[in-house]
Amino acid sequence: MVNNLKNRNPSAHETESIDESSFDGRELRKSVTEEFNLSEMSGMSRKRFLALMSASAAFAAAGCSNYKDQGEIVPYTKKPEEVTPGVPNYYASTCTGCSQSCGILIKTREGRPIKIDGNPDHPVNRGKICAKGQASILNLYDPYRLRTPKHARSSGQFEEWSWNRADELIVSQLEETVRTGKEIALLTRAVHSPTTKKMLDDFKIRYPGAAVYSYSLFHDENRRNAWKKCYGSGELPVIEWEKAKIILALESDFLGTDGMAVEQIRKFTDGRNVMNSSAFNRLYCVEGALSLTGANADYRLRLRTDAQLEFVTTLAKELGGSGPAAGLSLKEFAQKHELSEDILQNLANDLKSCRGEAIIYAGSILSEEVHIAVNYLNDLLGNTAVFSQDHQEVSLLPLSTQGEIETLVEKMKTGRIGVVIHFDSNPLYHLSRQFDYAVALKSVLLSISLSESENETSRNCTMVLPINHAFESWGDYQVRTGILSLQQPVIAPLHDTRQKEAVLLAWMGKNASSVETVYHTYLMNRWEKEVFPLFRPRVDFKTFWYSSLHDGAVEFQEQRNAGRRFKSDVSVLNNTIPVAGVAVALTESCFLGDGSFANNGWLQELPDPITNIVWDNYASLSPGTAKVFQLNNTDLMEVRLPQGAITVPVLLQPGQADNFISLSLGYGRTIAGPVGSDVGVNAHVLLSKQSLSGTRVFTGAEITKAPGSYQLVSTQEHPSLNDEFTKDLHLKRKIIREGTLSGYEANPAFLHKDKSESMNITKEVEYPGVKWAMAIDLNKCIACGACVAGCNVENNIPVVGKEQAAKGRVMQWIRIDRYYSGTDADPLLSHQPMLCQHCDNAPCENVCPVAATNHSPDGLNQMVYNRCVGTKYCSNNCPYKVRRFNFFNWRDDFQNGYYEQQPVSLVHNPEVTVRSRGVMEKCTFCIQRIMEARQHAIEQGRELKGSDVTTACQAACPAEAIVFGDMNDSSSNIARYRKHPLGYSVLEELNVRPNVTYIAKLRNKSNATTKK
Amino acid sequence: MKKALIDYTLRIRLPIILFVGVISFIGTYFFSRAERDNVGYSPVQPISFSHKLHAGTMQIDCQYCHAGVTISPYATIPPVSTCMNCHAIARKDKPEIVRLTNYYNKGIALPWKRVHRLPDYAYFNHSVHVNKGIDCSNCHGPIEDLDGAMQVSEFTMAACLNCHRNAPELLQQSHIIKKGPENCYACHR
Repeated sequence: MVNNLKNRNPSAHETESIDESSFDGRELRKSVTEEFNLSEMSGMSRKRFLALMSASAAFAAAGCSNYKDQGEIVPYTKKPEEVTPGVPNYYASTCTGCSQSCGILIKTREGRPIKIDGNPDHPVNRGKICAKGQASILNLYDPYRLRTPKHARSSGQFEEWSWNRADELIVSQLEETVRTGKEIALLTRAVHSPTTKKMLDDFKIRYPGAAVYSYSLFHDENRRNAWKKCYGSGELPVIEWEKAKIILALESDFLGTDGMAVEQIRKFTDGRNVMNSSAFNRLYCVEGALSLTGANADYRLRLRTDAQLEFVTTLAKELGGSGPAAGLSLKEFAQKHELSEDILQNLANDLKSCRGEAIIYAGSILSEEVHIAVNYLNDLLGNTAVFSQDHQEVSLLPLSTQGEIETLVEKMKTGRIGVVIHFDSNPLYHLSRQFDYAVALKSVLLSISLSESENETSRNCTMVLPINHAFESWGDYQVRTGILSLQQPVIAPLHDTRQKEAVLLAWMGKNASSVETVYHTYLMNRWEKEVFPLFRPRVDFKTFWYSSLHDGAVEFQEQRNAGRRFKSDVSVLNNTIPVAGVAVALTESCFLGDGSFANNGWLQELPDPITNIVWDNYASLSPGTAKVFQLNNTDLMEVRLPQGAITVPVLLQPGQADNFISLSLGYGRTIAGPVGSDVGVNAHVLLSKQSLSGTRVFTGAEITKAPGSYQLVSTQEHPSLNDEFTKDLHLKRKIIREGTLSGYEANPAFLHKDKSESMNITKEVEYPGVKWAMAIDLNKCIACGACVAGCNVENNIPVVGKEQAAKGRVMQWIRIDRYYSGTDADPLLSHQPMLCQHCDNAPCENVCPVAATNHSPDGLNQMVYNRCVGTKYCSNNCPYKVRRFNFFNWRDDFQNGYYEQQPVSLVHNPEVTVRSRGVMEKCTFCIQRIMEARQHAIEQGRELKGSDVTTACQAACPAEAIVFGDMNDSSSNIARYRKHPLGYSVLEELNVRPNVTYIAKLRNKSNATTKK
Repeated sequence: MKKALIDYTLRIRLPIILFVGVISFIGTYFFSRAERDNVGYSPVQPISFSHKLHAGTMQIDCQYCHAGVTISPYATIPPVSTCMNCHAIARKDKPEIVRLTNYYNKGIALPWKRVHRLPDYAYFNHSVHVNKGIDCSNCHGPIEDLDGAMQVSEFTMAACLNCHRNAPELLQQSHIIKKGPENCYACHR
């Protein structure tokens, strides 16, 4: 056959013989020539084929000869003292996933990082970390990471270079630039590391004429500038949310993306403790797009973002402020924006009665004027009492202004910039297209990109230098006064990469021979000279350094001049901006940050907490507005602003303000790797030059229906809120049970007043020893998704991709269900984390034909993969739909085996089986952690206690909403929750007796509004 | 063909052939069981280390070399540096020790042949068993009498369960030992 093909010549008579009169022969000819394209055909002859076959058969036979062979065990030659195979080590470091610099604890096994958790000793995030931080470990093992320096040939093709060659070229070019008096531009994202900042200063000294530009897609500049105007100099105060009884969030998703969410969630949910219900706080939220904060608010009012200033001035007038003139009365305002006057009145009353114990917090997306007005209101009400006296937020390096970037671009275009260095930044994607940066970049002779993986900017640079991942790097970070967080490498660089600071230090001629340690030395030197003396230490520096590294963070006295006297004139605030037309808000996506996590499949597949949509961004608009513009789900829509236009999928979002579109940034990367490229729509083209200083809300958008349709994939569909039959089904079926705080206080047992005992026809199974159980406090759960991400990493959950997700095959063991009740305009949201309930009378166990799922003596519903034959009966019979079936070997199936490329497999937890195709899987209550705790108990010769075990979701939960332990231990936390009057199990009437208890959510409604 | 021949073949010869076939299959199955479970496997090691000499004659405790056994799921194969604790001085001139020193000095990985192996889906934990007071020899046999390490018992699920079910009788050297867990999650996860 091979020979036959080889001898076949697709020329002359074959093509001529086609009867061209009967049909268009061109197509056939094309296919014929394609099929028999000689150059693409294998040149293997039959002889060679047979020879190879017999050789491989011989090898196979030889390989089989010693069937007893068990392979090799290769021990260390010289074992590092701290490493014992099979025993994990933990190292404190700092997360660099966003600008918050949380302290993390990296778990390593045999020297490779496998799990990230918060560092319990860190004073800010206290042992918790968000979903992005949890999943960031996948970026370390991303096979798409750059592995060697690359240089662009004139043809545009990149060729691999050695570091030495690259260094030589760059240093000579830098010297040349200095000599000719041109500028060296260094463009970085916001800098939070004092040592990096010092290094950049040193760079400017070494190369006179170097200038540092920094930008950030999401930042606090409006809030910071407003604070400076109101209180003179001074840094932003940290807010002590736990002290606030009344919280009013204005377009601020402080539980999601606005600020230090991990800490804010903890402090907010401190006021949601059912064990101390008298200390409940009350959250009001006024916002245009439905955010996590709005979803968790006791009262939510929908108001488009551009009307916020009007709202604040109205409120100021109502609260008796002499500030801004021309405010409307509450009634007028409520009528104008179709809001509930009762709630507004209630809010005003609450703010008045809780002076000094309330906080009004404006989102970072809002303008400086709103922030000034909010500062004024807080000052008026004495709410500055909830500002922390100990810490303030600091900004180390001021961000470049619009003018500075404009000048930079101008200089680049006119050839006054000799070298441009992109210091782990991606301006081509992040900056507004109005700056015309792409054109400017082409006119720079030497453009360098320091990046972990290829991106939009690096593709257009002449030199691409690969840098270390955060887990391979040294560093220190400061986001607050008096707190420094340290970063240490936990693995040697996987590829031929260098730490980004070390690259610059090498160009500065600092010990270029030892480039691996140069930044480590630099960091230690700075700490010895500048940080160590702050502590008035009684130990030597080495001891101090190692103990600081061990703890991960140090606290010290640092006083900055904190302005405390309000001195701004708010009467000049212009609150008469007409609110009309369609407004567009460009928001931060929950999990992708500024797009740097685009190639992380775990994060792409984490459902958005509100819409449950995966692998896409979309324009949310209210059902009312959609009707006006004749748009519907699956439609495409064109959004046109003066600076640009995009076509996006439409999503009808209940609770969205009318004539108001919100759209996530961070999607639509074109060069991000096989996972993240071309996912979603690039909304960055709608950014204007002013966006650099924080303007992300634009009015006067034109929207039109675009041709075509688009399928967004959501992991949970929701029936219409207008259908009487399906409306509130989750409440009728008692999946979600809720009450009000006042109702609970009047009758704590209100939940169980119509409870009936179910009877068993079989004998009750006794659990004399430990019996595992979980409680999920829905008062505390705010649906941030950290548990899902934590579970993904711990339990080797695969990524399935959009196409399979559309078929309902997402593999996450824990999901967060979201239910709507109420109306389209004013929906009430309920979230519920749903995982295997480990039922005592588990329906899945009865139907398994091979007993692959059965019950353990400590109350766990066991799933045994090597026994499972994949009938899926168990999943069919599961009332909670928490079982996941491996329809494919996902690592192989997704993106042509993307996750089978090395070194991705190193991310797997070695204590958990990597499941293959054809088996069922589900939450195990982290059996590997239970077994590890059991091992330690036996080591110490004691009984296993419930408190020894922390599940991955529990460890991740910033709100501590998840409680796990031994329900037979009456003194334990879990036993208290299990007996709590608010405790219920989902679908109780089925009598499957779940071991997961949900604590019903209490809404803190005011008596004034509930009576109506 | 004659009818009698067919009759003879069907009535006498076929049953005999079938009988012999089945018996030899069953016999082979049972007699080769240990062989197939790798009992008696003792591969040639890169360094001809003798357990008999070290653990037997010289009475060195198992845990001196297999130091992870009380804290880790793995007993751990000792790093070459552990050997060199003694052999930096002791028997330096012997050819095997010269080879060993060469591995150590040049930092070459020493590829020991693996003897015991459990399937990937079974999570055996040495530390739990040893800390409960179960002696190494219960599974690994009289290793102090063997020159090269050899698998002496079956490492099958049946063998595990047999001991978990009958621990008090089988492990009489330690009377405090109770039955082991028999649920799936004890070993599979």
